Amino acid sequence: MTTSLADHLRALPDESLAALLQLRPDLVVPVPADVTALAVRAESRVSVARALDGLDQFTLQVLDAARLTRRPEDGTSSTDAVLAITTAGPHPPAPTSVRSALDRLRALFLLYGPESALRVAGGVDEVAPYPAGLGRPAAELDPRAAALCADAAKLRRTLLAAPPSARAVLDRLAAGPPVGSVPPGALQAPAVGAEDELPPDPTNGGAPTGSPVRWLVDARLLVRVSTGTVELPREVGLLLRRDSGPLGPLRTSPPPVAGTLREPKLADSAGAGQTMELVRHTEALLESLAAEPAPVLRSGGVGVRDLRRLARVTGLDEAATALVLEVAYAAGLVGETDLPGATTTRYGADQQVLPTGGYEVWRAVSLAHRWEQLARAWLTMSRQVGLVGQRDDRDRPISVLSAEAERAGAPAARRAVLEVLADLAPATAPSPDEVLALLDWRAPRRSRGREAAHREVLTEAAQLGVTGLGALTSYGRLLLAEVTEADGRGGGDPLGLRSDAESGEPSSAVRALDALLPAPVDHFLVQADLSVVVPGPPDPMLAAELDVVAEHESAGGASVHRVTTASVRRALDAGYTTEDLHALFRRRSRTPVPQGLTYLVDDVARRHGGLRVGSAGGYVRSDDEALLAEVLADRRLEPLGFRRLAPTVLVTPYQVQRMLLALRDAGYAPVPEDATGAAVLARPKTRRAPARAATGHSVDPLAAPKPAMPRLLGVVEQMRRGDAATRAARRAPAVVRGGAARAAAGPMPAHSHSDALAVLQQALRDKALVWVGYVDAHGATASRLVRPVSIGAGYLRAEDERTEMLHTFALHRITAAVREG
Amino acid sequence: MSGGPLIVQSDKTLLLEIDHPDARACRMAIAPFAELERSPEHVHTYRLTPLGLWNARAAGHDAEAVVDALIKYSRYPVPHALLVDVAETMDRYGRLQLANDPAYGLVLRALDRLVLIEVAKSKKLAGMLGAKIDDDTIAVHPSERGRLKQALLKLGWPAEDLAGYVDGEAHPIELAESGKDGGKPFTLRSYQREAVEAFWAGGSGVVVLPCGAGKTLVGAAAMAEAKATTLILVTNTVAGRQWKRELIARTSLTEDEIGEYSGERKEIRPVTIATYQVLTSRRGGAFTHLDLFSARDWGLVVYDEVHLLPAPIFRFTADLQARRRLGLTATLVREDGREGDVFSLIGPKRYDAPWKDIEQQGWIAPAECTEVRVTLTDAERMSYATAEAEERYRMAATARTKLPVVRALVQRHAHEQVLVIGGYIDQLHQLGEYLDAPIVQGSTTNKERERLFDAFRSGELRTLVISKVGNFSIDLPEAAVAIQVSGTFGSRQEEAQRLGRVLRPKADGRQAHFYTVVSRDTIDTEYAAHRQRFLAEQGYAYTIVDADDVLGPSLPSLD
Repeated sequence: MTTSLADHLRALPDESLAALLQLRPDLVVPVPADVTALAVRAESRVSVARALDGLDQFTLQVLDAARLTRRPEDGTSSTDAVLAITTAGPHPPAPTSVRSALDRLRALFLLYGPESALRVAGGVDEVAPYPAGLGRPAAELDPRAAALCADAAKLRRTLLAAPPSARAVLDRLAAGPPVGSVPPGALQAPAVGAEDELPPDPTNGGAPTGSPVRWLVDARLLVRVSTGTVELPREVGLLLRRDSGPLGPLRTSPPPVAGTLREPKLADSAGAGQTMELVRHTEALLESLAAEPAPVLRSGGVGVRDLRRLARVTGLDEAATALVLEVAYAAGLVGETDLPGATTTRYGADQQVLPTGGYEVWRAVSLAHRWEQLARAWLTMSRQVGLVGQRDDRDRPISVLSAEAERAGAPAARRAVLEVLADLAPATAPSPDEVLALLDWRAPRRSRGREAAHREVLTEAAQLGVTGLGALTSYGRLLLAEVTEADGRGGGDPLGLRSDAESGEPSSAVRALDALLPAPVDHFLVQADLSVVVPGPPDPMLAAELDVVAEHESAGGASVHRVTTASVRRALDAGYTTEDLHALFRRRSRTPVPQGLTYLVDDVARRHGGLRVGSAGGYVRSDDEALLAEVLADRRLEPLGFRRLAPTVLVTPYQVQRMLLALRDAGYAPVPEDATGAAVLARPKTRRAPARAATGHSVDPLAAPKPAMPRLLGVVEQMRRGDAATRAARRAPAVVRGGAARAAAGPMPAHSHSDALAVLQQALRDKALVWVGYVDAHGATASRLVRPVSIGAGYLRAEDERTEMLHTFALHRITAAVREG
Repeated sequence: MSGGPLIVQSDKTLLLEIDHPDARACRMAIAPFAELERSPEHVHTYRLTPLGLWNARAAGHDAEAVVDALIKYSRYPVPHALLVDVAETMDRYGRLQLANDPAYGLVLRALDRLVLIEVAKSKKLAGMLGAKIDDDTIAVHPSERGRLKQALLKLGWPAEDLAGYVDGEAHPIELAESGKDGGKPFTLRSYQREAVEAFWAGGSGVVVLPCGAGKTLVGAAAMAEAKATTLILVTNTVAGRQWKRELIARTSLTEDEIGEYSGERKEIRPVTIATYQVLTSRRGGAFTHLDLFSARDWGLVVYDEVHLLPAPIFRFTADLQARRRLGLTATLVREDGREGDVFSLIGPKRYDAPWKDIEQQGWIAPAECTEVRVTLTDAERMSYATAEAEERYRMAATARTKLPVVRALVQRHAHEQVLVIGGYIDQLHQLGEYLDAPIVQGSTTNKERERLFDAFRSGELRTLVISKVGNFSIDLPEAAVAIQVSGTFGSRQEEAQRLGRVLRPKADGRQAHFYTVVSRDTIDTEYAAHRQRFLAEQGYAYTIVDADDVLGPSLPSLD
């Protein structure tokens, strides 16, 4: 008696069911209605695939063993059978590890039932069609192949007779998957007489056989399952695997990751150096974006040209720049905004990317904090930056920040790779291949096809300073632990209250990194070549001062600036006085200030402000200085606010007209002049209304009109037609009108379609008026008073007298016709 | 965090704080792979360049050692990316080798097959490579050796040149250290010895020493090492004569063994001194004196003042790759930026010592540099303000107001040998009249020049006005004061050369003075600042004074 999974689940105690739901949380979204629904879902393709994804290679192999040992009669397997097949190979695993793998599978209900009758959950066969990479039994494929397989000795002989090239094909299929595709036509026998034209078999060395696959198909070692596809029967596969065991090589424990042992201090230090670089590059990139925001492409993201520009600014290559930009975006330091107004005429450039307000906050916190913010964003962002610059399915380049680089699996991939590093002893640097091999063992279904992404994680981690010299740094380890913990807590803290509460306190990763990073310095060294060296990261005050008084030259652990004429002028423009500058250099410099610098400051200050620029509304000039003095002293002109620029020039903030009037009122005789100095002569302008035509009265409005005869006749005709229209405006008969009422009434009235046609034909002959009821294209009923003109080809053509228009009605749409009475 | 003296910057500059106790050890550790870029008083700047790293690799340093040195002396964490970059760059050197194959002659051999495939496909190498011998070897025509190296360097895969050098025609040359014909005995200074050893070990290359540090002697010692016929290329005839004089005094060579190949004489002898000018002179579009390079089987070619090497000579040099080449210069800075060609054609820098180090050892005179700013008269300012842009520098540089200042400076050093150096002939004539001093300029005959220089050397003549001809290779050891009134726009190496005139150590260890007279508030000041930057980076701090301080009645101390 077979029991379904539903029966089995129903028989379980509550705790066991809860345990299943905990292991496969996707089963409760949405909550299943009953246990039957739960069982259906647990055997569904999606859920099974999810459960399989999380299994390691060995457990999957044990599941395959259970699938292979199913008894054909009832489809069940047993623990003993599984043990027998798994230990059949040359390096049998310990039975305990097989049993524990079976327990894991049973806990997931991928296998269920008693140990003597294990059933495989439905859906497994759909998700992974070829157990252990073996094909279907020959009996299911082809009777002739089955016959060959049944004769063990013959099968062996045939195998040994296979030419080397065919054997190579067999070996590849035996390693799994057992299905291969062949080019169309490869399986066809050569045309008669054309055998000699076949190229000799390169590996065979013997007579030309054509394609090795064709040889195999002919020998029944491969079975053709569809055009262009061949399958290796299970029996042949098992025979080929006799050296490695029926399941292939089994590995009960993960492949070892040895790695190179680095000195922890050096690894940390290299990583810390890289963190400083990352923060500096981010800042340089964002500053550049602030100065010149990058337009958003119509397809989303930032274009290659802008990326190149940013790469030039940061001095990184494009891939690294893309990463910095993506991380900054994920950290909320960059955002898109609509262009203010129409500042550009370029089509589609209506959004641009520039630093957000969060950038200001970010800039104010310590180096380690800034790094943490970036690194956290990187760990959790669902972007695969390595895709930037590659081409998408439609062969279009993927641009940075575009939706094409979005990969939901990216955070999990990062976590998986970094956890491999974190599981190693501190400062161990494994090779990428070792890491990939381990990931492949841990979750083969998940890591397949993600090798490139995993490699990228390693390079990105190095660029972010999460790793140093290839090993996870101490602070990187702490950060990873924190993020993992926060994620694990996610279920218990859905509102994120706890993480908010502790945000004031620097995390342990920040503290660890802080200890590695240099402390800010508040002094610099000034040298005779006017270079200013800050031997460490400058404290914010010092940085702000240097930004003003010197040009930036080189950055890194220290920063080098140079004082130039232009930078001193800038400082003076910004409000520094000569004394301030001297004091600044004296106060901040650890070394004596070189004479050249002091001289430079004085020299620039001497010339600073040698020219004065301002704006004025108007001026008064005169060669007569005494006259100007008089104007300046005139109390009546005080409201004009004259200022004396030179003995012969006064300026006022007011406009020329006002000044002219005021001066004239005060009894002076000013003459206005234009920009070239020529006198402007002005005559008073008389005000006039706009010109208009004269109004003439040629017609007496009171005289009676005398209309002409034709016009009167026209009036009469119009009146007659109006009369006819009034007659016609009588309501149409009810039978024509009442389409809707009829439908509600149910049975069709006596007035049928053929009656209507008869009425119409009669009216056509009589040239009489008819009420026609019809259904229009929208299904609404309508009626019209018309005079039929013709009937034919399924259409009635008729004239509407009121509108003088010719209408065409489809006959099948006409519901009724009544002679106008 | 170690408190090391070195700060590694992300633009690959290294800042060395020289007051740090470990600074000396650090300098020794990083000198093989980092180029000294600036050496002002407190923080020296080195730069990691691909050239420098490949140099180190050529000298047998590996990437591990470089990374170790950086980490050991660095004060702050060194970015991981930079370390990776260093290792990768160094790894590129020597993947390709130029070698002599007994059967095929000169071949390009790859230790990394993919690199060979990559470069063989490059368009830049089209026509330079011959037949493919096997997967890892391609034949190279010997005449393309130089150009191939040049091109490979540009591709970023510099080849290790293992093809060796021809010995050339042997000729006995010894250093006459015990003194010759009653001359004083001498020994090579320590840095000269090191320079020659570094050069000889490297085969070919450039030795960078400050003016007055005895570069001629380095050349002579290299010749004594080579013991072969030698071609010496110099900038002008006067410099050539000085080489000749020095060689006769310091080596076993006699006057008959040294030939002069110049505009005046065309002698080819075991040691031949030729000027750049005669080699690059053309007749009918063809270089007529190229035969000189093949006239003898030269064992050594010496390039004096490598930074002035004219472009055609580079092309000839490309054909001379089988001969040992020694470049001598005070600065690798080239105004035309062809430092890479110097590297690939003449050779990498083999030796280099900061000026201040040599000064501290007492081998060159300590110098004090002063910029005197002259305020133009109102009339001069007015005419300057309205002058055409291309005339402005000349007007500012040749302002008459400078004359009294120059005279005051000459008078201040009345008991010393003073050189007044300028770039404009009119101005020099004015100065000559004003100071009552003779002028040496381009049109002065060699005989007259020699006479004036001799008179100056002997002290008969206190003040000498010289034009641009004085920029190079004039040995006037007793000149203690140089006054520069105008120059070639903002040329940095010219400034260095002119300072070099007064840096020869003085018999009594006096201080040398270098004055630059510039017009305030004009383009002259800007050019002066540009020119001074090189010297300031070498640790020569300029003091700026106003002309009134020089002219004024009470002379304040300049020290």
